[in-house]
Amino acid sequence: MRRSAALLLPLFLAACGGGGGGTDRHTLVDSRDNYDPRSLDPALSTDVPTGRVVSYLFDGLTRFTPDAKVVPALATSWESSPDGSTYTFHLRRGVRFSDGTPFVARQVLASWERVLDPKVRGGRGWPLYPIRGAKEFADGKASAIDGLSAPNDSTIVVVLKEPFAIFPKLLAMPVAAIAPEHVPPDFGEHPVGTGPWRLVQWKHDDYLLFAPNPDWWGGAPKADSLQARIIAEPSTAVAEFQSGNVDVLQIPQGEIADWEEDAERRKLLASTPSLELVYVAINTTRGPLADVRVRQALNYAVDRNTIIRNLIAGRGEPAAGVIPPSLPGAEKTRIGYQFDTTRARQLLREAGYPNGIDVELWTSTNPIYVRVAETLQAYLRLSGIRVKLVQRESAAAREAARKGGTDLFIKDWYADYPDAENFLYPLLHSANKGVGGNVSFYANPRFDSLVTAARREPDEEKRVALYMEADRLAFRDAPMIFLWFYSELYAVQPWIGGFEPPVIFNGQPWTTVTIRTATPQKR
Amino acid sequence: MSAFIIRRLLLAIPTLVGVLVVAFLLLYVAPGDPVMAMVGERADEETIARLRAELRLDDPLPVQFGHYVAGIARGDLGRSYITNRPIERDIRERFPKTLQLAGAAMLLATVCGVTLGVLSARRPGGAIDRFGLALAYLGISFPVYWVGLLLILLFAVTLHWLPPSGFGGLRYLILPALALGMRSIAFLARMTRSAMLDSLGADYVRTARAKGLRERVVVVRHALRNALIPIITVLGLDFGAYLTGSILTETIFSWPGIGRYVVNAIARRDLPAIQGSVLFLSAVFVLVNLLTDVAYAKADPRVTYS
Repeated sequence: MRRSAALLLPLFLAACGGGGGGTDRHTLVDSRDNYDPRSLDPALSTDVPTGRVVSYLFDGLTRFTPDAKVVPALATSWESSPDGSTYTFHLRRGVRFSDGTPFVARQVLASWERVLDPKVRGGRGWPLYPIRGAKEFADGKASAIDGLSAPNDSTIVVVLKEPFAIFPKLLAMPVAAIAPEHVPPDFGEHPVGTGPWRLVQWKHDDYLLFAPNPDWWGGAPKADSLQARIIAEPSTAVAEFQSGNVDVLQIPQGEIADWEEDAERRKLLASTPSLELVYVAINTTRGPLADVRVRQALNYAVDRNTIIRNLIAGRGEPAAGVIPPSLPGAEKTRIGYQFDTTRARQLLREAGYPNGIDVELWTSTNPIYVRVAETLQAYLRLSGIRVKLVQRESAAAREAARKGGTDLFIKDWYADYPDAENFLYPLLHSANKGVGGNVSFYANPRFDSLVTAARREPDEEKRVALYMEADRLAFRDAPMIFLWFYSELYAVQPWIGGFEPPVIFNGQPWTTVTIRTATPQKR
Repeated sequence: MSAFIIRRLLLAIPTLVGVLVVAFLLLYVAPGDPVMAMVGERADEETIARLRAELRLDDPLPVQFGHYVAGIARGDLGRSYITNRPIERDIRERFPKTLQLAGAAMLLATVCGVTLGVLSARRPGGAIDRFGLALAYLGISFPVYWVGLLLILLFAVTLHWLPPSGFGGLRYLILPALALGMRSIAFLARMTRSAMLDSLGADYVRTARAKGLRERVVVVRHALRNALIPIITVLGLDFGAYLTGSILTETIFSWPGIGRYVVNAIARRDLPAIQGSVLFLSAVFVLVNLLTDVAYAKADPRVTYS
């Protein structure tokens, strides 16, 4: 389906002239979601469309700016105890939910309890697990969250299991957003929040419509309304953009060159250093892959620069480690594994595989990853690594990798919050093997202790130094084929003002975005 | 006739029970765990175990099946694992939209396809016949998503006549109905043409002409009426197919119908949603087939069911 769409793209581009000076719409229209949100209940936000909507309708104690800074939201300030294990959040006063209920500290406790409550079936408790007793509560071993208390209506005291310096960053995740104390069973359809927008209508698989919350503490949204359309097929989203019906488009990875090479289209492009790592997880417990030399050989055997240039039109930065270059902790001067088949063969020989090895490379049906996988297969062959491609529908492929059933698995990882910890810990810490995110099944006690120490370290500078050292180790141990950090490309209509592409998926609340309408308002 | 209908409806019950069993078992054989899909990218074993227990996925298969069948017997299709919404409401929201699209596609197919077929048969080898042949080739061989994208490109992006995608009034319906109905138009045109050629050469047509009837009456009342059986067959089969699986068209045109619902449910391993919609769509299919059979009898008095 995608391939024929790509064939049509030049026609699309030829067919449309540049956008005009304005639109006849008063509604901002987003086209980024390609499936219906799971629910509008923060406690159920495990997918991107849900998380985005939650960031419109609700607030957390903190929130992300488009450029991924963590700023105060329902908490105006906070301080931590010197050892970093107790946080005191001072809550914003005078905030009301869309049903008029005033926002008070009790609702924070209730919201987080709901997230962890097994009956709610959210499935994403981990951002709150650092709180003392949260895990026990979630597992049904405690009737309350021990580390959580509200001494008065505008203060929350959080005692953590152990010091965790970046905890406030996790509170900007959609799942930690604050809902009223008592929610009806159909809350997921009829949400009540304090966020910048209010839900007007949800037409499943079609669109969600929002109206501004005039009283939002951060300043009411400037536009009249916001519509999030659900467009399943990327080529259709492109056509909607070309027709001027949507304001923001996430350009499909396979079609980047067509946009960048067109003088008119180019002007509409905007991009951001995205916190997305694309890599091939190497299962470090399977056969020859347990040998670090073999894993390094895999890294030397691949010409990532050429792949980046030809398959994603140069929109990636070659990865040499797991920390994105835009985050503190990335060692920008490090030279990654360079394409060198002689070196790869030599390493394989040293490891005792002079005749090469046979491995299976798993991929989902994502068309870009299928092409990457085919290319990797050809490269690895040059160094004597014989690859069998296994293509599965994405849920099945992911599950196989989580159960340790894949040698190599091509995948990506988007940051939930802007911190190196969000890469090092889930992807490579041995506590997260399998379902936790570490599908390399990498287990290096030295790496573990560095990351654990970093999580506990309250001093930013020392923490970053620990991240760096852990990343250096991961780079050397090569529990993955490091591919690239993808930089998302957007097209924004010329009549839109103030849209900054978000680095984190829920980092753009559209409150300062304006739409220049050609025809006067008709109401 | 009514006895026939009642018998067919009763026969549908074992069919649907069979569908139920197969849909239930297939999903447990197929790879992919609903809980894994629920928790997203990062989770822990305890959460997964807890959710499995909460969803009763750890019960023995016969117990789960019994539980499910008991729900169905009460008329309850259950709730989605993922969204926690009742499946029945989801289907009720989406099926009318699919029905609308399928109906429009069938209407287009009937009007355009039959007309083209009749006109083609009137002068075999003539201009209309050759045009019809070319159209049929294209309509049958082009895949629906390609036709769909071309239609969007031409009528929406270039000419700005119609919206590229979405759900709304008639304007939103035209392109997806055309894309979906294209194959049926082509197929029906060819089908009608050959059936018409047969009947136009038949003795009763010569008799009708000899009686001095006007050509229009000869063609429509005598020849077409007799050519209806194969046309109804095609219409019935296609309608059944469109009602149950216009997934590509719905995807291309962002049409919020049942096809996309099923695909999303499968991608997320939402077992109750998949089972519920498969069961519902099977019932629809059975019903459409029954209606087709009834239409045979209406079209041709020689067809009787006893």
